Amino acid sequence: MNAITPIEPADLNALEDEAFRLHIRAWIEANYPAEIRNPPKRLHWEENKSWYFKLAEKGWLCPGWPREFGGLGLSPTKQIIFTEELERWGCARSNDHGIIMLGPLLIRYGSAEQQQHFLPKILSGEHIWCQGYSEPNSGSDLASLRTSAVLDGDEYVVNGQKIWTTLAQDANWIFLLVRTDPAAKKQEGISFLLVDMNTPGITVRPIINLEMHDEFCEVFFDNVRVPRANLVGQLNKGWDMAKALLSFERIYLGSPRQSAYALTRLRQLAERMGVWEDAVFGQEYARHRADLADLKSLYGRYVEVLKRGQPLGADVSQLKIIQSELFQRITETMMAIAAENAGLMEPMEGNRNLNPAGLYIQARPTSIYGGTNEIQRNIIAKNVLELP
Amino acid sequence: MSSAAGIAPWSDDQAESARMVRDSAAGFLDVARARALRGTMPGFSADAWREMGALGWIGLLVPEEAGGSGLSMVEMCALAEELGRGLAPEPLIPCVLSAMLLAEAGEREVLAQLLAGEAVVLTAWQDRANTLAVCTDAAATRRFVPMAAGATHVLLPVGDALHLVNARDCEITTEATHDGGHLGTLRPGAGRAIGRADVAAALDRAALATAAYLLGGMESGYAMTLAYLNTRQQFGKIIGTFQALQHKAVDTKLPIALTRAAVEEAAMDPTRAACSRAKARASEAAMIVGQNCVQLSGGIGYTDQYDVGLYLRKAMVLAPAFGGAALHRARFMDLTPETEDA
Repeated sequence: MNAITPIEPADLNALEDEAFRLHIRAWIEANYPAEIRNPPKRLHWEENKSWYFKLAEKGWLCPGWPREFGGLGLSPTKQIIFTEELERWGCARSNDHGIIMLGPLLIRYGSAEQQQHFLPKILSGEHIWCQGYSEPNSGSDLASLRTSAVLDGDEYVVNGQKIWTTLAQDANWIFLLVRTDPAAKKQEGISFLLVDMNTPGITVRPIINLEMHDEFCEVFFDNVRVPRANLVGQLNKGWDMAKALLSFERIYLGSPRQSAYALTRLRQLAERMGVWEDAVFGQEYARHRADLADLKSLYGRYVEVLKRGQPLGADVSQLKIIQSELFQRITETMMAIAAENAGLMEPMEGNRNLNPAGLYIQARPTSIYGGTNEIQRNIIAKNVLELP
Repeated sequence: MSSAAGIAPWSDDQAESARMVRDSAAGFLDVARARALRGTMPGFSADAWREMGALGWIGLLVPEEAGGSGLSMVEMCALAEELGRGLAPEPLIPCVLSAMLLAEAGEREVLAQLLAGEAVVLTAWQDRANTLAVCTDAAATRRFVPMAAGATHVLLPVGDALHLVNARDCEITTEATHDGGHLGTLRPGAGRAIGRADVAAALDRAALATAAYLLGGMESGYAMTLAYLNTRQQFGKIIGTFQALQHKAVDTKLPIALTRAAVEEAAMDPTRAACSRAKARASEAAMIVGQNCVQLSGGIGYTDQYDVGLYLRKAMVLAPAFGGAALHRARFMDLTPETEDA
């Protein structure tokens, strides 16, 4: 893999889709660190930063950002190909909240000063961001959040607590939804604030989840003083800005990759457990296969919407429901055939491809995060089916 | 409403052509027409049949040089979906199948009558339940021939040829079905050999078209159900405000979205595996959607006068037609190689 013709970022969009795909694929295969392919858990910054910097150095860190902000400015079709190639090779998800959430938000709503100050630092890896949205009493009902920001001179004083903050211990900046008008209707008193994690008064406490992994954290704010210039967009308009970015998350969470990965592992487990030829297992496996193929067809239809540059509607929520529940069913079949191995903490026989309990546990939160599946059903009922 | 679920991966030309075919079916959307024909013999309207011929539908998949419309499964599925909305009882899909076979076998005279809606040619391909295998035994009694009482001719696969038999030379008995139609058992009489055709390939297309018909029915029954949830009041509230019903309504929508994705993708490239996957999904989904719509409609949903039940009864007949969910899922598995992609 050494005869790759260098192609300048400016020319990537001009490539035919298939040539583009092969170009990206060759570079990923040549440069992705082998030891972190298909990681069983979300990696920490220390484990995946070498890949982050490789992408940054290549100029490929932010394929979706416009070129004038240091991105690749790829067309929607090419962005999708780029993502597919990363998934195909089992590339770890990096600490990407700055790349996929904050960057696009600043590009759309930030001031010129904010764009010039923050975007280059995402591209260089100097700022690693985390997202402070959920609170202990504001999960599904996110708009009820109570972490407050009160103006005092030229600074906001922030008090409160965030929770389920992914990889907060790795981040040096956090973007927050904060309440700036306690008197307004709940969605209308929320603002969007950027906070340096090294400011006095911030405490981060990791949470151990069912995977025994410290992927999530609690973040406490005790009289944290934040420059007024770090407010993004208009005061009290933070909710609308954050919501505008959520449909991207739902199509990302609806990608068939988790189910496809689990199905491959199910086959390997079935062979190991001696049930691959079993008729009852075969019917269940066939159902999962057909479900996955139909999910891929449905996913393709939403990708088509993006390719045409059209907005995703609220109905994209159904993709997230279907994907997460299929992923869970596949892992439930794994548990059913794994017998005594179903309780093992570590992969069977030291083979990380045979890890039924691990995948089963990993599948549990997919119907909780990103808006629980019950909330997604509420959204569809209200905004798509237009039920009262 | 339609099951908004992204955009089909069709070209602009395909989408436009499908839209035109859909528009041409506007006169067949009235479920009252289908309701009135229930239990009659032969169970469908001769006038409607001739109109379907005049619209070019019976020969939709027949090449233009053989007198057909020369269109593809994209248009066929769009049309079948519309007919499913109106629960049209005419045996269009079985006759589209026969028209393809007659054209391929080089039989022009009866084909012309069929395409004009003057004849009804049914292909008696199965000798038992739960099979996708084509029976080629000349003497075998053929089973489950839809709307057999309306046939003018019967096409019989015999050996590797097709035989064309006058329906009046066959002994036909019928059993009523829940959708108001019937299935025939047929002891074939003597006919004439007309040539060869790939019956199995035509059956794939019939299965896919049936999946599209089921999709249209699901959407219509579901739309009625949503309208009911939006008007019916209990406990002083519109029942659609109740979360338990909202979530059941959403869970009824998901299989419709998956069916549309599978059917429209298969329509574009109707490989055998794609047709099987689409029919498996549609057969299973139509039953789930049908029974959920009855449940969500409450007592009225259990009455014969209410149309929601008609969609469930149609699903009961068409879910197994041209192969049910389990058969097609198994064939999809056999035809799709395992890949090491993760």
